[in-house]
Amino acid sequence: MLLYIVCYDTPSDKRRKKMADILEGYGKRVQYSVFECVLPLEQYQELKKRLRKRYKEGEDCIRFYPISQHTLTQVDLWGGPSLAQEPGSVII
Amino acid sequence: MRTLYLSQQGCWVTLKQEFLRVLSGRQELYTVPLPTLQQVLIFGYAQMTTQAIRACLVREIPIAYLSQTGYCYGRVMPLARGYRGLAQRQQAMAEQWRLQTAQQIVRAKLLNSRVLLMRQLRETPTASGAMVVNSLSHLAARALQTDRLEPLLGIEGIGAALYFPELGNCLRQEGFILLTRTRRPPTNPVNALLSFGYSVLWNHLFTLIELQDLHPYEGCLHRGNRQHAALVSDLLEEFRAPIIDSLMLSLINRRILDADQDFMYEKGGCFLNETGRKKFLKSFLERMSIKIKTQTGTQPFWDVLTQQVRQYKQCIFNPEQVYQPYQIR
Repeated sequence: MLLYIVCYDTPSDKRRKKMADILEGYGKRVQYSVFECVLPLEQYQELKKRLRKRYKEGEDCIRFYPISQHTLTQVDLWGGPSLAQEPGSVII
Repeated sequence: MRTLYLSQQGCWVTLKQEFLRVLSGRQELYTVPLPTLQQVLIFGYAQMTTQAIRACLVREIPIAYLSQTGYCYGRVMPLARGYRGLAQRQQAMAEQWRLQTAQQIVRAKLLNSRVLLMRQLRETPTASGAMVVNSLSHLAARALQTDRLEPLLGIEGIGAALYFPELGNCLRQEGFILLTRTRRPPTNPVNALLSFGYSVLWNHLFTLIELQDLHPYEGCLHRGNRQHAALVSDLLEEFRAPIIDSLMLSLINRRILDADQDFMYEKGGCFLNETGRKKFLKSFLERMSIKIKTQTGTQPFWDVLTQQVRQYKQCIFNPEQVYQPYQIR
């Protein structure tokens, strides 16, 4: 389980919407095109696979930064939502 | 383990992009992202749209339909495709191996009950406590010496008859009494709590067993039939005391549950009502997420459950290995 920072940039409104929709499922939106996702390796790979299908070579740019346990404690946050946590169960 | 528990009556679950949206009327109560979801448990009346059910099937997220009191009516699972050899191996296991496994399960159950009582008795000793604790360890040793299933079941029965009244002595809130275990239906708040707790855990285990491709109806201690998933009941035994019984004690002794407010009486039995169920499920989840020390390191209870199911599966592939149930400490 690692925290991944995923940022994307694309000129296409359609692809941007789709990328955001996918990412919403895996993590938390912390800036307009920046997501924080706490994921096990398997799901991280699934996320990359799904984004890959939407990614257009030469036009888009998607970046994935894994944050190690060591540097996770040194993350500084100025404004915005709190750091994404591992998702837990929901009781309604 | 990430689970969506729907215990509020009359809500709706719809699909929106990567989310399940839980609605009450027009109002959105919660959105749950699908990719990290592992199962959905619906207690009573909540509706899921076909789109939402289909999205769960695609992602192999099982949906369990339970009564408000935790009885499981059934589950929605995707069709299993491909390899099903494991179930055949399970059916072909030798009688001797089954007996051995059943012995280990009964032994662990008795020992876990014993440790739970000992911890309670350390704080508040009772007159009969020491006798019961001794008897349980004696019975645990006897369990390994049986040569057939019937005497083993007898030992388990004697153990339960000693254990539950003593567990009742550990209760320290008015309105909560446990003299014997009653079920179908439970007749008082304590039994209602235990029944609900076992049922919730049973359903979790069922799901884990199915996810590992094991045949849930093929057990060792409990002999299955078409209605009874015996393996689930087998693997539940070792967890009853450490998870549910101890949770029951802490909910009552810490006065989180109230005998008047959190229970209802109907159909000749006593059951948790809506507020009671919510309180219980919340504490249950907290307990399951607590990290405990085991032989393989520190891990939440959820992973211990999965680990036991996996170990059972290994024993099927390698019958010389004897199944080792979870034991406290």
